[in-house]
Amino acid sequence: MLFDYLPIIVLIIISTGLAGIAVLLGHLLGPRRPTLRKSVPYESGMRPIGPGARRMPVRFYLIAVLFILFDIEIIFFLPWAVVFKKLGLFGLVEMFIFIAILLVGYVYAWKKGALEWE
Amino acid sequence: MDVALWIEWIIKALILVLGLLTGFAYLTYMERKFLARFQNRYGPNRAGPFGLLQPVADGVKLIFKEELIPAQADKLIFMAAPIITTVPALIILGVLPFGGVVNIMGREVPLSIAGNLNVGVLYIAAITSISVYGIVLAGWSSNNKYATMGGIRSSAQMISYELALALSFVGPIMLAGSLSLADIVEEQMRIGWFIIYQPIGFVIFLIAALAEINRAPFDMPEAEQELTAGYHVEYSGMKFALFMMTEYIKMIVVSAIAATLFLGGYHLPFVTDQPWGVWLGPFILIGKIILLLWGIIWVRATLPRVRYDQLMAMGWKVLLPIALFNVFLTSVIMVLFPNWFSH
Amino acid sequence: MTEQLAPSVEELARVDELTTRFPEVVTPDTRKGYEGYIVRPENLIEVATYIRDEMGYDFLANLCGVDYLPENKMEVVYNVFRTTGGRGLTFKVQTPRDSSSVPSLTPVYPGADFQERETWDLLGIRFEGHPDLRRILMWEGFNGHPLRKDWREPFFEEEGKPFKSRWPEGHVYRIEDKNPFANNVAYPEGFDPDQWEPENDARLYESLRRSVKELYSDLDTEIIMVNMGPQHPSTHGVFRIAVALDGETVLALKPVMGYLHRNHEKIGERNTFLQNMPFTDRLDYLSSMSNNFGYALAVEKLMGVKPPERAEYLRVIMAELTRISNHIFAIGMFLNDLGAYFTPALYAIEERELILDIFEAVSGSRMMCNYFRFGGVARDLPEGVYDKIYKLVYDRLPRRIDELDLYLTNNEIVRSRTEGVGVLTPEQAIAFSEAGPVLRASGVPYDIRRADPYSIYDRFDFDVAVRYHGDTYDRYLIRIDEMRQSIRILQQAVRDLPEGPIQEGKPQYQVRVPAGEAYGRVEGPKGELGYYVVSNGKPNPWRYHVRAPSFINLNAYETMCVGNKIADVVAILGSIDIVLGETDR
Repeated sequence: MLFDYLPIIVLIIISTGLAGIAVLLGHLLGPRRPTLRKSVPYESGMRPIGPGARRMPVRFYLIAVLFILFDIEIIFFLPWAVVFKKLGLFGLVEMFIFIAILLVGYVYAWKKGALEWE
Repeated sequence: MDVALWIEWIIKALILVLGLLTGFAYLTYMERKFLARFQNRYGPNRAGPFGLLQPVADGVKLIFKEELIPAQADKLIFMAAPIITTVPALIILGVLPFGGVVNIMGREVPLSIAGNLNVGVLYIAAITSISVYGIVLAGWSSNNKYATMGGIRSSAQMISYELALALSFVGPIMLAGSLSLADIVEEQMRIGWFIIYQPIGFVIFLIAALAEINRAPFDMPEAEQELTAGYHVEYSGMKFALFMMTEYIKMIVVSAIAATLFLGGYHLPFVTDQPWGVWLGPFILIGKIILLLWGIIWVRATLPRVRYDQLMAMGWKVLLPIALFNVFLTSVIMVLFPNWFSH
Repeated sequence: MTEQLAPSVEELARVDELTTRFPEVVTPDTRKGYEGYIVRPENLIEVATYIRDEMGYDFLANLCGVDYLPENKMEVVYNVFRTTGGRGLTFKVQTPRDSSSVPSLTPVYPGADFQERETWDLLGIRFEGHPDLRRILMWEGFNGHPLRKDWREPFFEEEGKPFKSRWPEGHVYRIEDKNPFANNVAYPEGFDPDQWEPENDARLYESLRRSVKELYSDLDTEIIMVNMGPQHPSTHGVFRIAVALDGETVLALKPVMGYLHRNHEKIGERNTFLQNMPFTDRLDYLSSMSNNFGYALAVEKLMGVKPPERAEYLRVIMAELTRISNHIFAIGMFLNDLGAYFTPALYAIEERELILDIFEAVSGSRMMCNYFRFGGVARDLPEGVYDKIYKLVYDRLPRRIDELDLYLTNNEIVRSRTEGVGVLTPEQAIAFSEAGPVLRASGVPYDIRRADPYSIYDRFDFDVAVRYHGDTYDRYLIRIDEMRQSIRILQQAVRDLPEGPIQEGKPQYQVRVPAGEAYGRVEGPKGELGYYVVSNGKPNPWRYHVRAPSFINLNAYETMCVGNKIADVVAILGSIDIVLGETDR
């Protein structure tokens, strides 16, 4: 069973190696003459005001939380879809209920304005 | 477990990775050339015949570029982010069948790395999520406002469209009754390409995929008109090249997945059914990929960019409900007309 | 010409109304060659309010200072117009040179904002009550105010060209070679160039913070201040926008310009009158023919000459071709700002190239045309060019404009990106002295070609394009409309083009311009392009001021952007259509 994953592991090792080599190559071959002005973060040629990495608007976190909720529910679709042909009508009704519950949450999020970008 | 198997895996992995790298190089050439023709220009035509050596020249230039690391950047993450972004893009196609089983020197060799992996589609969904990390980390570690905003925007965009993308996978899985991509292709050989059964799913997949790989008209994170280059604004030289490479390889990957899930993969009626046709499989798949890539480039040449809030609204309020509806519709039809889908 | 210049009876009655209403305060300007009224500084706001509200001069077109060194006084000139049409009104304020201060007119005409800052920057006239009196074109470390007549640049040679010193016995040399750099640069007191940080824009950021506080006093989230520009791909040149953001939403925005500043006006005052003609090409380098036109009109007003018929027609043809080439390019680049990757821009450039071919044929240069002369144009049409123009305006251009319209106007993404974005109401547009397409897209049908016709525009049958929503989409649509109207004018002008001379009198290198002042204005592609010229009878203009539409249209930029998304900032800038050569001068 896990044996099936071995070729993937080989692939991961090879591609990580190649990406690493690429970064290394750039490091070894590229010139390196850092100056004070060069290392200033780019802000259209101006000295940046304030730190670059900072607190982000809370909407992004809202999106992330919603994503986790919905993504997990969508993952449940996959095994259901695999055996759907065997389940027949029972599977349909079951999934209908599942989608209905999903929709309640979705409509709630929409109505609460979680999907608005204002 | 024999040595020959290991050698076979290594050779196949190398072919895939190197093929993708070459594909990336010539995809940039193809994009520039096509864009130029769309725009009444010639495109690159100086390096080599028809400019064919342009990607090589670009590559050599990027290797010899000075690499800058901004002050106060988180150096370790800054260096690791391009690798974290690149690797997932390179390994997604590990589960894609490029053809049937061929006979090489008496060995039965399937033309894929792990095409019969029984969780193929799930694997794709899982691995695509990982590239988000690279982008967020790149943006965050640069200590740059444009980069941070670009990184956050990009990740929010990708996760939003991932929902619709994952839902568009459900249709083909239901039709094939399997998560394995090899099974999905085989099922299409029997009952016809899934685009016939899943037209809505196909369109949803294309739109969501464009957003997922940050291509026009959804190329928000690197919107040069506002954030200059988004999350990779501070990157230069080879590290920058890796980000660009990821973008283009993702184009190839998405096209390959679309071809496999909806357009019959390596299958072409009347050709691959022949006994000698099995060798043609990879070329047919590549042909389909190029066709889809051409479409992606065409879209870029044609459409302006949507605004970020409109993009998010479309993902959550339009695409997600339609994708859910599509799953529902498919299941209802499959229950009402079970004979259509049995063999 | 004389008929146009003479004020009507009604006009005189109105003007008398001003002096009778404010005796002692308002006196007619009686200097020879001058017109308008001189207002006492203390009563300026009162008088201006009256002029705006009671007399209906709601549009402050031009505001500039003049340094009258011999009389030891500064003068600020205001040219106001009615947006319903007709001739304008000029009023002036005088103030002593060495503590020059004038009340700010921003409460009456908000559009005075940038022009007052410019006048402060270049002439050192302080405007009391101006909310944000910072330098606008020069950098903060600049010493002095360069347009003052006693200000001298490091390599000062003579007051006016031609510099005799450069041709001693017929040999050319540069004075810079004799005078090595660095030992004659004057810095302000306490200023050390080695310690100075060019990025230190404390006053700019302070002003930005103030705007945020005024608008959102209860705001508690973290505000990000970002610079877009000067090195930014979408600011149409070295233009800088300092933005205060809450997430994606713009809270406040300050345009920063001057990176391309070369003090056009100072150089213009050193040049002779004719030498300025090619120099105007460099203002809005995409529409040099229109620039020539405005300057030629101003100087011709002073000289009292009138070009012959054929020259008038040629002028109109060239000006309208310029308008089309400018608008088609503006639309292409605007789509680029929306993120359409260069495809519309390149198709637009294709048409522009054909127009530039014609310019090249008549003037010898594609962009820096230098085609107009006082009392005529430089050259007649070469052989075959008439047919080219004919084919272009009767066949190709109308077709290609329809094609652009077909592909772009109803594109879903274009509409969703532009409709309702960057709205400017008609009242705001007039108040901010917006001009040209920006004003007309807000529903104010004010086109100088119709409102105050110059040259021979009163002969042509055309409509003033106007749109009513004032959003970015309308500012795009109005350019398509205007191109269609330009085609109409062109078709008539090309059809009626008479034979005859192209220059009144003999072509001259040195023109005699009688003393006086003149404000000549044309409807340039970007808006009202005005030239305020003061002559004292010498070969060089005493004052040469450009009312640059790209510059003044930016007055409303902050108002349009606030509340919109960061991506809209770029789209709105594209819809204003600025050219940095003109903005920065």
